[in-house]
This record gives sequence, C-alpha cells and structure tokens, in this order.
Amino acid sequence: MAGNHSFSLHALALISLFVMAAPGPAAGAGAVYREAYPRAAIDPSRGIGGAGDADFGATLQYWQDEKSLEQHKQWIGDPEHEWKLNWKFLDFDRTDDMHPGYLALEAGEKLFKLWAKREPAFRTCLGEGKTDLKGLAATYPKYDPKLKRIMTVEGRVEHCAQTALWETFKQGSPANNQISLYFKSLSAREPIRVDTGSAEIMQSYRRGEKLFHAKVGQFNFSCASCHTSSGLLGQRFRGQVPTTPFGDAAHFPTYRLALGDIESLQQRFMRCNLQARTKALPPGDPAYTDLEVFYTVLSNDYPVSVPSAR
Amino acid sequence: MRPIFSKWRNLVPLLLAAALAGCVAQPGKPAQPAAGGGKGTDFSEWPCLSYTLACGRTPNRKPVKQALAGPLGGDPARGKVFANERSKGNCVACHLIQGAEQPGSKGPDLSAYGTWDRSDAETYALVYDMRWRNPDTVMPTFGVNQILNDQELRDVVAFLQSSK
Repeated sequence: MAGNHSFSLHALALISLFVMAAPGPAAGAGAVYREAYPRAAIDPSRGIGGAGDADFGATLQYWQDEKSLEQHKQWIGDPEHEWKLNWKFLDFDRTDDMHPGYLALEAGEKLFKLWAKREPAFRTCLGEGKTDLKGLAATYPKYDPKLKRIMTVEGRVEHCAQTALWETFKQGSPANNQISLYFKSLSAREPIRVDTGSAEIMQSYRRGEKLFHAKVGQFNFSCASCHTSSGLLGQRFRGQVPTTPFGDAAHFPTYRLALGDIESLQQRFMRCNLQARTKALPPGDPAYTDLEVFYTVLSNDYPVSVPSAR
Repeated sequence: MRPIFSKWRNLVPLLLAAALAGCVAQPGKPAQPAAGGGKGTDFSEWPCLSYTLACGRTPNRKPVKQALAGPLGGDPARGKVFANERSKGNCVACHLIQGAEQPGSKGPDLSAYGTWDRSDAETYALVYDMRWRNPDTVMPTFGVNQILNDQELRDVVAFLQSSK
C-alpha cells in the first residue's frame, strides 16, 4: 500500500508538471490572442489632413476653418448632415449663446492666478522657465528630456503643482481640469503643433495607434470600430452619429453639459471605454497618454479651441 | 443694462440643466453602467488597453460558431424587448427592427428577417458571434462574451424569425 501511495504521488507530481508546461492561452507574451480592427492608413505628417480621406468620413472640407463652418452652418440641427461639422461649431462663441465653458475658464484663471501669486515658481514651472505661457499649450503633448517622459498639459499641471506648490492636483481632479483649461486657453486659436520630428513622440504615437485599433472589452470594440468609415463613423448609432477622430483633441478640456462639469480628453477616453464595457484607466495612465499623443497628432494644424462646450 | 448681461442671461437654462445632470453623474468618476454589465463589475475580466493591469494581457475570446442545442424554444415577445433595450441586445443601435425607435444605419434592415428563410441554427450562431462569418464585424460578441445568456439569445432569434 505504502509503495502504491508513493507511486501515485509521483505520478501526480509528474502530471502537474506536464499540465504546467502545456501551453495555455496566455503562455508567453507573444502567444496571447489579441484582435485588432483593420487599419486605415494615416500619415501623421498631414495632421488634420487625414480627415479628408474617405476612410475617415471625408468631412475636413466642412469644418477645417471658419469659412467652411460658415458655409455649412445650415446643417446645424439637421440630423442627416450635422455630424459632418464634427461639432466644431460648439467651440468659442460661434453661436449666439454663451456656454458654461466660459465659466469653467473663469474658474481656472482665478485658481491659476491665486496659486501663481502665492508661489511664482508655479508659473515658471508651467512655462518651462518662462513666465509667458502664451502659445505653449499648442505644442503638447511633448517629450520632456529632463523628466524623461511624455507630458500632457494635465500631466504638466500635476507635476508643477507637486514640485512648486506641494499640492496634489491629480489629473482628472477639478483643480487640474480648471487650470489645464486656462493654460490651454492661453493658446486659443494657435495651430496645434505636436512635434512629429521627435523620436519619443513618434514611438508614443505608434503605441497609441495600436491601442486605437485594439479590440477590447465585453463588446470586443476598438476605438476604430466607431471612428473609421468601415465602422460606425457617419452611421446613425441609435440617437448619435460617431465622428472623425481628426481635430478631436483641440477642444479639450471641454465643458460637458451631460456631466455638468469639465472633462479632459483622458476622462473622455474613460467614458468611451466604460460605454463599450471596457475597464477604464485612470487619467495619466501611460496607455491613455499614448492614445492622447495619437489623437493630438491627428489634430495637428487645427487651432486650440478652448473654451468649448459639448 | 450692460450688453454682457444679455449674453449671460442665456446661460440660466443651460446651468440649470448642468446642475441637474451633475446630480446623477459625478464629475471625474463616470457612473458605472450597472445594467447588463454584471454585478457592479468594472469590466476588468475583459481585455483592456492597460500596459500594466492583467486585463492588458487578457486574450480576446476566439471566434466561435456555436451550435444550437435542441429546439429553439424562444419567446419572440421577450426577444423584442431585449432587441430594443440598451442594456441587453440593443440591436436597434445599428439595425432597423420591428418596434424600433431611433434605429441605427450600420447593419442590415432586419424588420422582415422572418421572410429571409434563414434557419434558427444559423441565426443563433450569427447572433452568438458574428466573427466566424466576418472577422472585421463591429457587431458585439453577444454569446461568446456573455452579453446575452442562452435563453436571451433564443428569445432574440425567435423575435427575428417572427419579424415578417
């Protein structure tokens, strides 16, 4: 009996070794089965130019500048055509009604000036040594060689609050969103210029492009499933029509009527993920930062459009 | 009165709406869609975009051509409700179906699906997972990712087959 018992133990040990060695679905990083939505060609050097391509709805001609928006303003409120304007008529004060984006801007300016008065280093930190912040936000996201990481506007505000104020203005918090919105408004109407000549930015862009196409969540959706023409772009999707990803980063942080508050681009990613039943990541997460780089390169040459409301 | 007031006056209804909206949705913390998403889940059991969390390495479930076991036994009336309900099938988001309000335009018109002469088994397998026929579909993986359970799938198939 004792012999048999020890034999069966040996056999069990051998079997379990075998089971552990057998390749499971997640064996090895390269072996994980992950699906991606088919890629449409995007040339990052063209900025918003790609929005003219059929793969992305070919809507550029309707919203690319003031003249185009003016020429097509009769589409505002028209369920058939409104999506082609890419909601750009909601930036600044193009319609007669003032919107709460201006209230958010006021709050941000007050908060920034309060802290910059208490501690002038806050201003020079945001200004990377300079005190004039005009035009700076249009160059974000950018690679910071000293910190050795990609910085978004919100990431910079968080970093400067920590180092200059010893305050925690976490990305996605009201204080961070308000100051970021004010910081971006100081570049209002400046063309977005993410540096596509930077190797670090382009590496991040490529990672973001991959995430844009990755199928995730319970619905097995990618960003591209909704925001390319082979997917739902330009199609009625219940009460809405998904729009192009081009030019989309320009108006964030934006005042979101449905939320009753400001929302950063990465908080929008969170809501997109949750709507598609996908785990949402915290603002400032490296994956969301890559996605923001990708999105903002697709907004290159479009003017920073803060304040805005959606 | 200074002209600025006439501009800001228009804000009042907007602000009221915003304040009301603020009561239900907490800024910065998007509301968890409870319905249909399981019991208070944060969806971390499904693949996600993270580089560090386990869900970032979770594989997608592979396409399955699921066989229909036994007779269909679906309830078309219940299926119609699921097909039109956002938290369930939400077929209406992309398809024109019977009873549709604000139907979508991406998928084919299914309002006369019952006249198409498709078998219950094929219909069930397609709603279960469209990818075995079209790997690039944007149709959610209803069966394989447990968005609908077996009986709910049968009810939806019965509804489609009754659409004439």
